[in-house]
Amino acid sequence: MVERENTRTDDVPLDDKAKRMRDLLSSFYNPDHSSAPKAPSNYENLDAIDSTSFDPDHYMNLLVQQSNLEGLLRRHVEMAAEIKNLDTDLQMLVYENYNKFISATDAIKWMKSNIVGMEANMEQLLDKIMSVQSRSDGVNTSLFEKREHIEKLHRTRNLLRKVQFIYDLPARLAKCIKSEAYADAVKFYIGAMPIFKAYGDSSFQDCKRASEEAVIILVKNLQGKLFSDSESIQARAEAAVLLKQLDFPVDSLQARLLEKLEQSLGDLQLKTVGIENILRESNDPSKQGKAFESIPNTGHEVSVHGFAEAIRAYRVIFPDSESQLIKLAQNLVIKHFEMIEQCVKRRISSANFLGALRTIWTDVLLMDEVLSEAALPDFSLEAGQVTVKKYVASTFTYLLQDISDALLKVNVSPKEAAEEHPLQVALEASKKTVLQGSMDLLLDFRQLLDDNLGLLVKLREFIADWVQEGFQDFFRALDDRFLILSGRKNSTSQDQGFSDGALGEKVLVGTVLEITASFSGGGVQGDENGHAFVSGEICQIFRSVSETLLHHYINMRTQRVSTLLRKRFTTPNWVKHKEPREVHMFVDLFVQELRAVQSEVKQILPEGLIRKHHRSDSNGSGNSSRSNALLDDKMSRSNTQKARSQLLETHLAKLFKQKVEIFTKVEYTQESVETTIVKLCLKSLQEFVRLKTFNRSGFQQIQLDVQFLRTILKENIEVEEAIDFLLDEVIVAASERCLDPVPLENPILEKLVQVKLAKSKERSK
Amino acid sequence: MQGGSSGIGYGLKYQARCISDVKADTDHTSFITGTLSLREENEVHLIRLSSGGTELICEGLFSHPNEIWDLASCPFDQRIFSTVFSTGESYGAAIWQIPELYGQLNSPQLERIASLDAHVGKINCVLWWPSGRHDKLISIDDENLFLWALDCSKKAAQVQSKQSSGMLHYLSGGAWDPHDINAVATTCESSVQFWDLRTMKKTNAIEHAHIHNANYDMKKNHILVTAEDESGIHIWDTRKPKSPIQELPGHTHWTWAVTCNPEYDGLILSAGTDSTVNLWMAPTSVEDEAITESIAESPAQQADPLLNSYSDYEDSVYGLAWSSREPWIFASLSYDGRVVVESIKPFLSRK
Repeated sequence: MVERENTRTDDVPLDDKAKRMRDLLSSFYNPDHSSAPKAPSNYENLDAIDSTSFDPDHYMNLLVQQSNLEGLLRRHVEMAAEIKNLDTDLQMLVYENYNKFISATDAIKWMKSNIVGMEANMEQLLDKIMSVQSRSDGVNTSLFEKREHIEKLHRTRNLLRKVQFIYDLPARLAKCIKSEAYADAVKFYIGAMPIFKAYGDSSFQDCKRASEEAVIILVKNLQGKLFSDSESIQARAEAAVLLKQLDFPVDSLQARLLEKLEQSLGDLQLKTVGIENILRESNDPSKQGKAFESIPNTGHEVSVHGFAEAIRAYRVIFPDSESQLIKLAQNLVIKHFEMIEQCVKRRISSANFLGALRTIWTDVLLMDEVLSEAALPDFSLEAGQVTVKKYVASTFTYLLQDISDALLKVNVSPKEAAEEHPLQVALEASKKTVLQGSMDLLLDFRQLLDDNLGLLVKLREFIADWVQEGFQDFFRALDDRFLILSGRKNSTSQDQGFSDGALGEKVLVGTVLEITASFSGGGVQGDENGHAFVSGEICQIFRSVSETLLHHYINMRTQRVSTLLRKRFTTPNWVKHKEPREVHMFVDLFVQELRAVQSEVKQILPEGLIRKHHRSDSNGSGNSSRSNALLDDKMSRSNTQKARSQLLETHLAKLFKQKVEIFTKVEYTQESVETTIVKLCLKSLQEFVRLKTFNRSGFQQIQLDVQFLRTILKENIEVEEAIDFLLDEVIVAASERCLDPVPLENPILEKLVQVKLAKSKERSK
Repeated sequence: MQGGSSGIGYGLKYQARCISDVKADTDHTSFITGTLSLREENEVHLIRLSSGGTELICEGLFSHPNEIWDLASCPFDQRIFSTVFSTGESYGAAIWQIPELYGQLNSPQLERIASLDAHVGKINCVLWWPSGRHDKLISIDDENLFLWALDCSKKAAQVQSKQSSGMLHYLSGGAWDPHDINAVATTCESSVQFWDLRTMKKTNAIEHAHIHNANYDMKKNHILVTAEDESGIHIWDTRKPKSPIQELPGHTHWTWAVTCNPEYDGLILSAGTDSTVNLWMAPTSVEDEAITESIAESPAQQADPLLNSYSDYEDSVYGLAWSSREPWIFASLSYDGRVVVESIKPFLSRK
């Protein structure tokens, strides 16, 4: 009852209980008590019961001391139940053991009865097997002889058959050759080959010789077949394969065939050369183009076709010979392009060039069909790039040459025939060449671009780039050449040199301007057509070049005036200057220089728009007289004033006056260049004056000179505010550098100027 | 390019042409300048840049008997300087000493140590050896080159040797090689001539016209920079006088003065009669290969050598001086008597 309750209420105690049971049982069977497993530690009391070192008295005492009566009672009940359980378990085990013993004894009894009588049967079986073996041995020995005989006969027969085949071989080969069954013949011969190798020198000598002869014929036939163009490619390929099987040196054959191909290639080239020659002979470019288009249709194309066919055949015949073929084909392309390059050197028209390119491209396409591995289009594209580039470059060089020729021609002519406007003529001529040339060039290249040839289509962008680059290089070269031209002329150091140099300069300036203008137009046009032709960069280059040239020119001119002024100011002793009697000669020289500049500038540069505008502003008589009056007033004021306060006054004046921009940017107009030169010269004059010290007369001389210069300048060129200002500045500088700055009185000044004017007018008449 | 507003200004009373860095003053950045007025009483101004670098202070104001055409500070004594002056009719040159107690005197007078009075014609300039203490002086007039032995304590200067430049060579100025105590370059109308002071013989010449001014590179031996009328600035290697190493465009009008920075390599300052001062960056270290390379390149690819153009001047700029104490500072003097001190620091970082 208690146990059942226990099992119901708690599972863990049951497990523990079963485990304990097992332990106990095993300890019961196990004689070695020391190795008995120890019970879990949490059941110390119970543990102690199971162990061998259990002390019942101690346990009893402990239990009695620790537990109350109820606990003891419960413990007692538990103990009793456990003992009872153990007893029943033991009993059951004993029963089971007993049962197993009984069944084991039964089995042993049964075995013993069955085994009796088996030995006799076994002996009988052995006897029977022995008799069977002896009989089979007998049969074997009786049949052995016969079997051996049969085998021998069979071997002989085989051998005989082989011998028969070899004896028959020559005849058979001959038959095969006759019926052109070369493949069979080769197969037979190759089959017989090992035998011939082994016994060819002894028993089968005749046979071998005969068959070899047959094979030689065979090889000959095959070779003939290989080289005959009339045979089908298939047959030729087979022949090649067979020859290879016969150990025939195919490589040499291949080489020979290749040679043949090369020869045909040579013929082809010869033909093309002929075409080129024809082309070269006909001078009219339009005809040339036509000629190029027509001739290839007849001779050239046919031959190229032939070549392509040959290559195709060759490829089929010798499948592993691609590299050689590729080389060959590339050679052809290279030679073509070389030819064109040579022609390019001789200056051909673009139509012509185009025709040549077209021919090559058709050839290349043809060959590409046959030999796609060669990547001929790519290859020819590369070669074509180079050629086109060269073509572009050469056209530009020719153009450059043309232009410089034209320029040089004009350079010489003015000396011979004293024309009125040599500069203009030169300018016009060179302008025309440059413009015409570059326009032609553009047209040519446009033609090149518009063509729908595959090669060119691919190259189109490149060509546009090249042309652009070419133009840039061309203009750079042109610039260099002009610089050299002008430099050379300069170095002759005479007047002639100067003017010639100036001529070169101006021509270039003019032309460059023209081109710039035309190009900005052309560029727009190009853009419209969708071809990238960026003219902006070129324009920029032109602009900077023309700017430097213009500066160069201005520098040259001012330098000349500068030397003049330097001489004027370093020679006399200004401190001991005599009273001014007339305007100094240097002013005349200065004006003369200015006139020269004017005449040059007038021929080349356009009039500025500002000019007319300005004229209406300041050229009115009232206006000019007013400004004169103003100036006079200013002069007289400075006359009366003491020198002491002069500096302060000028400072103040400068403060109130807007800072005059003396050095402004030069424009490409007559006026701008003139005024810039005048301004630079006047500034130099001022600087020279500042370096000297004057006595009263010296100062008056400067005053007179400047006054005259002012009048002359007013008559001749557009006098800006800056020039007026600079003229004033010269006088101010002179007065500052004067020991005794008493200016000339106005009437005297006027009179002297008038005298000088009258004189110069007289001279000019 | 707008420069100018960053500069510190100082006004002289009259027009002026020359300014010099007081090299011997190691405590302050100072400049000395003199006026050019034919009819007024001329003055020498000793100017000091305030410690904050924001102001120019007049440290000394001395009257000078004549208008000053050239002025140079002694490189080893801050109180000594030389001037070339003109009465209008004749020229003179003298060595001056600033009086010691000038701060306490009401109207301090310059003390004349020596007169360089062997000249006949127009004197152009007096040169001190730029690199340190040296008891020799050079003065150049239109036709002659004088070497003087200067004794400051005895207050005497004696002509040690003299050489005529030869016929038709009107000297206009010169420069003393900072690397070679015996080498002097003189400029004349058609060439730059090089002299050996020991023999007083011409050693070499650069044939080039219209040179106004020449200046040796303080850092690099054999490098000479010249300024010309129209053709701008040229940099020469004195060993190869045939052609310049480099060419700079210069100014719109004459390039009057040119000076190399004493510290930073390739920095060149030029002043012109177009009322501007230009700051150039022209590395002179390039050897031959580098030059050919640079020629091979298209000019567009080269960097613009012009770093800045200071254009805030009312008149031609004739005077130009780097400060050797603070080499990123320079003083410029325009003809209207205005000293402008500028710092080039913003452009140094750009290098």
